[in-house]
Amino acid sequence: MGLKPATNPDVEAATIELSIDGKSVTAKDGVSLYDVIAMTGKIIPAMCYHYTFDPFGSCGMCLVMQEGKKAPVRSCTAKAAAGMVIRTEGEDLFLARKKAVEKHLSVHPLDCPVCDADGHCELQDMAFQHGVTNLANAKQKFIPEDTRSPVLDFNMNRCIACAECINVCKDVLMIDALQFMKKGGFNQVVAKGDLALDCEFCGDCLAVCPVGAITNKFSKYLYKPWQMKTTTTTCNYCGDGCQLYLETKDEEVVRVTSPLSWKNKWGDRSETAKGHGGLCVRGRFGFEYLDSKSRLTQPLVREGGQLVQKPWLETMHLLVERLTEIKSKYGADAIGGLVTARCTNEELYLFQKLMRAGFGTNQLDSSARYGHMNFVLASKRAVGLGRTPNDWEDLTKAKTIILIGSNITETNPLTAVRIKEAIRVYKAQVVTLDGAITNIAKLASHPFLIKPGTEGAVIDGLVKATIDQDLVDEEIVAKHPHAFEALNSAVENVSLERLAAQTGLPVEAFREIAAIFAESPRSIILCGEGIVRRTNGYQNVLKLMDLAWITGKLGRAGCGVNTVTEEPNEQGAVDMGAAPEFFPGQARFDDQGVRDRFAKAWETSLPPVGSGAHLIEILKRCKSGQIKALYILGENPLATLPASMEVRAALERLELLVVQDPFLTDTGELAHFVLPACTYTEKDGTFTNLEGRVLRVRQAMDPLGESLPDWHIMTALANAMGCRWEYQSANDIQAEIMKLLPGYYNLGQPRKVVPIPDQYLSDGYTAEVKARYQQTPPSGEHTRPFSLLMGQLLVHSGKLSTQASGLIKIAPNTGKLRMNIRDMERLGLQDGAKVRVTSNRGSLQLGVQPDQSIAPGTCFFPEHFNEPPVKDLMPVSVDATTGVPSFKQIWVSVEQA
Amino acid sequence: MSVAALTKKILHAALFYEIWDAMKVTFRHMLHRPMTFQYPREQRTIPDAHRGALGLLRYDDGRERCVGCDLCEVACPSHCIKVISAEDTARPLQRYASEFYIDITKCVFCGYCVEACPVNALAMTKMYEYSTHDKRSLLFDKKRLYDIGERHLDDGKKYLYAHNQEKNVEQSREYRYYFPQSVQKSTQPSPKHLS
Repeated sequence: MGLKPATNPDVEAATIELSIDGKSVTAKDGVSLYDVIAMTGKIIPAMCYHYTFDPFGSCGMCLVMQEGKKAPVRSCTAKAAAGMVIRTEGEDLFLARKKAVEKHLSVHPLDCPVCDADGHCELQDMAFQHGVTNLANAKQKFIPEDTRSPVLDFNMNRCIACAECINVCKDVLMIDALQFMKKGGFNQVVAKGDLALDCEFCGDCLAVCPVGAITNKFSKYLYKPWQMKTTTTTCNYCGDGCQLYLETKDEEVVRVTSPLSWKNKWGDRSETAKGHGGLCVRGRFGFEYLDSKSRLTQPLVREGGQLVQKPWLETMHLLVERLTEIKSKYGADAIGGLVTARCTNEELYLFQKLMRAGFGTNQLDSSARYGHMNFVLASKRAVGLGRTPNDWEDLTKAKTIILIGSNITETNPLTAVRIKEAIRVYKAQVVTLDGAITNIAKLASHPFLIKPGTEGAVIDGLVKATIDQDLVDEEIVAKHPHAFEALNSAVENVSLERLAAQTGLPVEAFREIAAIFAESPRSIILCGEGIVRRTNGYQNVLKLMDLAWITGKLGRAGCGVNTVTEEPNEQGAVDMGAAPEFFPGQARFDDQGVRDRFAKAWETSLPPVGSGAHLIEILKRCKSGQIKALYILGENPLATLPASMEVRAALERLELLVVQDPFLTDTGELAHFVLPACTYTEKDGTFTNLEGRVLRVRQAMDPLGESLPDWHIMTALANAMGCRWEYQSANDIQAEIMKLLPGYYNLGQPRKVVPIPDQYLSDGYTAEVKARYQQTPPSGEHTRPFSLLMGQLLVHSGKLSTQASGLIKIAPNTGKLRMNIRDMERLGLQDGAKVRVTSNRGSLQLGVQPDQSIAPGTCFFPEHFNEPPVKDLMPVSVDATTGVPSFKQIWVSVEQA
Repeated sequence: MSVAALTKKILHAALFYEIWDAMKVTFRHMLHRPMTFQYPREQRTIPDAHRGALGLLRYDDGRERCVGCDLCEVACPSHCIKVISAEDTARPLQRYASEFYIDITKCVFCGYCVEACPVNALAMTKMYEYSTHDKRSLLFDKKRLYDIGERHLDDGKKYLYAHNQEKNVEQSREYRYYFPQSVQKSTQPSPKHLS
């Protein structure tokens, strides 16, 4: 609904009754008249209205007659009141609306043939509907087109001043990058301050523009809407799993549109709690890699040190020959496999089946190991549930959100929009704890800047402050007095003053955060890369669970400890068993009952318990020569892990390295076989997003060149290796998963899950909890003054997005270290000056640039780029329990070169 | 058979009546002007409204009229037109057809595309002689279409006149779309074509 809902989780709005076109209608008090009319199924034209924000009332189309008034009233800005008598149809209203259309058209350039919105234009539709054929006094604005922004062009000749773009930016996304400005005698939409538009480039303004005033530079003039085939699919960039419409023309992706659109303007405002349908810059403008010229279209085989193109049949013959040879010579344990979480669920399932049933090895892992496994294993240990307990709706309707170690507007922009809605509509208190000046911190009620790498210490302090202030939920902890006793004694020695000095967070802040978290009815903790991708990630998630447990938030509706995922299907990778410790469905690999079930279903014997290896172990075994053949599906460990991991040495030692990828990656260049896989637009399947919602991926075009879907290649490989797999399509694999994991797909709805900590609390908790709160910060490293962090940029995702030319145009690799401006002044550095960065691992010379989001005492380099190789300065620490490597933070010294 | 009929038959036979009767047509045609054209030595005068091969036209200043709007493509009932549009890199914001194909073997000469064209860039000409040994050469590309348009510019203009689409040069200017300029600075210079 246009107006903010009077009904929220806490208050129920009163019901009113009014008459529309002679029928009596009941509605909630406080909503706009337009919404009440739209609710009855009648559609009145309205060009400036969209349900996601408050009505603006500029187009003058939504006119209705109200009894007792002489002139028609604008229904969008009028509040529905009890006893109103409304007429929505009639000759007089038709003529009044026609006049409004004529008013807009009289200053419209009528350049429909060259306009990108032609055929998808509300003004065109309205002119047609109202039969506008003659315009008296038409005039032109002759405003030059604003092409200063790298993404969007503003042609203000076509603008009808509906302000939808401004409203969606200000009200829904809370970015507020656009404004009206009187220029050249006309009200024009310009970027704030009439500068070149420089915002998050989510493109939602483009989506809601009912005319062609805002156009997309990457698809400009390339299409007419009717020429394109639209496919609804799921975005492949982050774990949010946004639905998008991929518009293709033959073998070419022309543009991406979102469910949020002016076409889709009627809805219930409370529905946006599940997502407003928009996209982010990656989803909307990062499509150019899909039909990129650098895609692999032919299998490559190494011959005499060179990768040579070979036909599929010959490649597969050679590959199977080599694999069989290695397997018979060294045994199944000489084979390992890595898979990316950008694959579909079906492919991840097939991958682990191929490794376990086809090759007979349990040495397999997915890219969920880079961080998400910390959360999954900790959550599984504590509450028996390997995923986030809350969905987007819970997040939107939360009263308190603690966002710890997450730059969420950059990593998961659409989950961030849910938090923004919680702030804006439901008045939630948001606590942000991060080592950077994040965008969400600017909107939060309680933004706190902490010293980098002290997230774990902050949680210690929060647990301590909760117990100190007696905010503990007595009823809940009374069920497990021993566990609480153990926790109490574990945090006994924790001193808030010492933590305050260590983290930079004042003692009162600890107390305040603990108080608002414990006292609010719906509190959610969201931990991001600062927890799960750093050292002690597993322990830190368990500590967050402790905090939630003692305040009684575990298992209560609308509360819980959550995380966000970087890749689209990290959750799916865990659920599908693409990890040595899990079978599909997160069943333990060493559970005999489960082993029997899967052995029977797959009609094979399974690799023995204890032979498995995760990512780091696999690389170690490659280096030691234990693994002779590695099958890498979409992963790129060489470009991801620091040089100290010696990935190159490990991979070069292999007798057989097979890389299956849409692009020739750094790892691919070392491979003996490179198999061309196709991207998510060319195959069917599903992704599981961070809510646990299973989302469809649909084929939009034929595979490029001779590339094939991953499942197709794997099926061919398995059959050549002697399996009898009869999958004809992704659907056949889905059918098998449905049989083995009943209810997994759940019709695309997130399954409601309840975390139950009782098992853990009564067994094993007391023994473990002591160690958790004894961590002292690693000393010795503090001799260097700056903390160098590597992380994600809004515009990029992994290495994949660097193949999308549009995204590279928006955010190219500057090759510069980002620093706080004050630090730069202190060191006497100009923008672009060369500095030498030295860590205990080595040193590197590179340029430097100021960045407002970087806190003093830290510097940042995006993890997407290896030029210069900043990642090689990083040490790797591997979590003892989960095997998650963390390599995103180190202490460095920075001096002018 | 009666006597009269028999007599008539004998008389006809004796006087070679059938031959004279047939020759009557021959002699009559000797006296009036021939009806046939000696094609290709002689050519027929073709009316202005004739629907012949399609051509693309230019403005008097040599600029392409076509703005690559794809409306001809969507209007074509036999799907024989393909337009690929793009932005002219030399002149930003100028939309034009980077490629334009008409498969003339499929064309049904309905003239819908000409009617759909908002800038009167397409016109039908009086050209109909393009038979060939190679069917592939009947896929007219952009260059060929502009060649046709150039060679038959007058015919094209006459066609548009005859079909009430364009009266004269002045009116053709009215249809012309002036693309807005691009601003890189926030100050607004006045558009060139207005001054």
